[in-house]
Amino acid sequence: MLDAILAIPGMMLILGALAVPLLPPMVRNYYMLALIGFSGWSVWQIETGVHMTASLAGIEIILVRAEAITKPFALVFHIAAALNVIYAMHEDVKITATAGLAYAGAAIAALFAGDFLTLFAYWELTAFTSVFLVLAGNTSRSLGAAMRYLLMQVASGVILLAGAVLLWRSGAGFAITALDATTPAGFCVLLAFGIKAAFPFLNGWLQDAYPEASVTGTVVLSAFTTKLSIYMLALCFAGLTPLIWVGAVMTLFPVFFAVIENDLRRVLAFSLNNQLGFMVVGIGVGTELALNGTVAHAFAHIIYKSLLFMSMGAVLYRTGTAKASELGGLWKQMPLTAIFCIIGAVSISSFPLFSGFVTKSLTIGAAAKEGYFLVWLALIFASAGVLEHSGIKIPYFAFFGHDRKFKVKEAPLNMLIAMGIAAALCVLIGIFPQPLYALLPYEVKYDVWETGHVLGELQLLLFAVLAFVFLIVRGLYPPEIDSTVLNTDWLLRRALPRVAKGIAMPVLALWFSGVALAQKGLMAALRLSEETSRASGLVSGIASTGAAAGIFLAVFALMLVTRLFT
Amino acid sequence: MSDKVEISKSGRRFIGALMVVCAALLVAEFIIHRHAYFALEATPLFFALFGFAAFCVVVGGGVLLRKLVMRPTDYYQDDDNA
Repeated sequence: MLDAILAIPGMMLILGALAVPLLPPMVRNYYMLALIGFSGWSVWQIETGVHMTASLAGIEIILVRAEAITKPFALVFHIAAALNVIYAMHEDVKITATAGLAYAGAAIAALFAGDFLTLFAYWELTAFTSVFLVLAGNTSRSLGAAMRYLLMQVASGVILLAGAVLLWRSGAGFAITALDATTPAGFCVLLAFGIKAAFPFLNGWLQDAYPEASVTGTVVLSAFTTKLSIYMLALCFAGLTPLIWVGAVMTLFPVFFAVIENDLRRVLAFSLNNQLGFMVVGIGVGTELALNGTVAHAFAHIIYKSLLFMSMGAVLYRTGTAKASELGGLWKQMPLTAIFCIIGAVSISSFPLFSGFVTKSLTIGAAAKEGYFLVWLALIFASAGVLEHSGIKIPYFAFFGHDRKFKVKEAPLNMLIAMGIAAALCVLIGIFPQPLYALLPYEVKYDVWETGHVLGELQLLLFAVLAFVFLIVRGLYPPEIDSTVLNTDWLLRRALPRVAKGIAMPVLALWFSGVALAQKGLMAALRLSEETSRASGLVSGIASTGAAAGIFLAVFALMLVTRLFT
Repeated sequence: MSDKVEISKSGRRFIGALMVVCAALLVAEFIIHRHAYFALEATPLFFALFGFAAFCVVVGGGVLLRKLVMRPTDYYQDDDNA
């Protein structure tokens, strides 16, 4: 029985996490790495197909099933989980270590879920485990953000379950398969995925919660939830054309927010949203090249995004701030962190020879090949936007720019090792993309190294860098200002409470005036009864014996009279 | 916003190198054939001009967006404490 349970991918990490708080710090870290390594090795053996089913109240559920795109996602989730452990080795925080491992396990298990009921269980488990990482920020802000995060994540789960039930009622069963988004069931599932993939207007939780987590928590968060959602979208909605436009909007709007956001970890959260947009476009286009692009991009993105979050985490850890307006000149104190950060920055900006180039090019190429001119234009525009916020702004304001003369040390060794591995992977994938291409669902026939393509990319990026230099030298680049940038979480945090208050206030006013009226009436009645029953009152007053005798006589006389005449 | 920015020595070196590379890329445009899917893409120097312009539009868009969505740092604090 236990064998069977442990054979579920990710389950080893979920159950193994239970022992984490009991172990001493050093043992704990190596135990987690060993667990992740063993889990990764056993998951690597799983070929496509259904491997484990069970019967639950007469419903067949598919606990383990692998599709063509499962392997690359499972592999990169394991890599991310391992990097997270190494990155957090300097700290002794049981709660984030436990939650982080269980969260990774739940996300991996979800990849292999073959039906929506199984998926629902892991979908909620990722929410429940990851919220502790936000809570680990340990501020009043992170508490509020954690609650809003949980609300959105659980809402996504409930909508997913509703979709699953509707699907079952329509006779299609619970199996995770291509769905029709125009049916109520399909739409519910799409909406549930859309929340976790941070679709426009459903994205607020991401930029709200991720930057409020602890130094290590944000790095863990960046890898799993959103990419699990991308994976599920690819399984259920590949080729759904409206997703192309949704994705295009996702690539565009975060770049403007990222320009003006001061918290560099929040800039990265906007950037994450923009990257998801490229993947969603690929799913919408739905051709072999496009889906290859989405999967490859997700793989490379998890690593370089993690690297960027790690570098900003290291800066925050050493200086106590991640705000651009308070940072600058750190390359002298933290040269290695700066180099790793720049490698992450050029990777996400998709400079040739780095991982973003060999993966994102597939998606953009697919959009062009299918003749989506405006989408293609949006994607290259967004690429210039990525260069602005992740390629330049992040390293420039943290490590160069205005020298704040910090007296800090380089990041701890374990952080440097984690960043070093991630940076090495960015370069290796960028130079030798073949092993990654071999993992993709379809054969890669696109030549990313075509000279004209490389030239176009270099021109796009380097002239954009030139534009940055031009704006800086001319003093036209906007200064960093410590502020709150309103985002769609405003709807949840401000608009909704205001609207709710708008509705609730008259209702409450009516209620309270009703209560007041009833209270008045009651008081009057009480007063009346009090008056009549007071010592001098009519009913229970202490009347004189004479009066009492008089009343008695009168009643007696009345009785006699009635007796006599009836 | 318009205060003159001092450029360090290494900064000036970086800018010099960037200019040289950009100039080389401009020359390369007329030697290497770029395969184009769209007519606009085939326009000479399309990517160079688009890259420069897009970057400026992104930054300019950000400046405009600031007028719309920038609030004090404690904007939500009142709600949290209420």
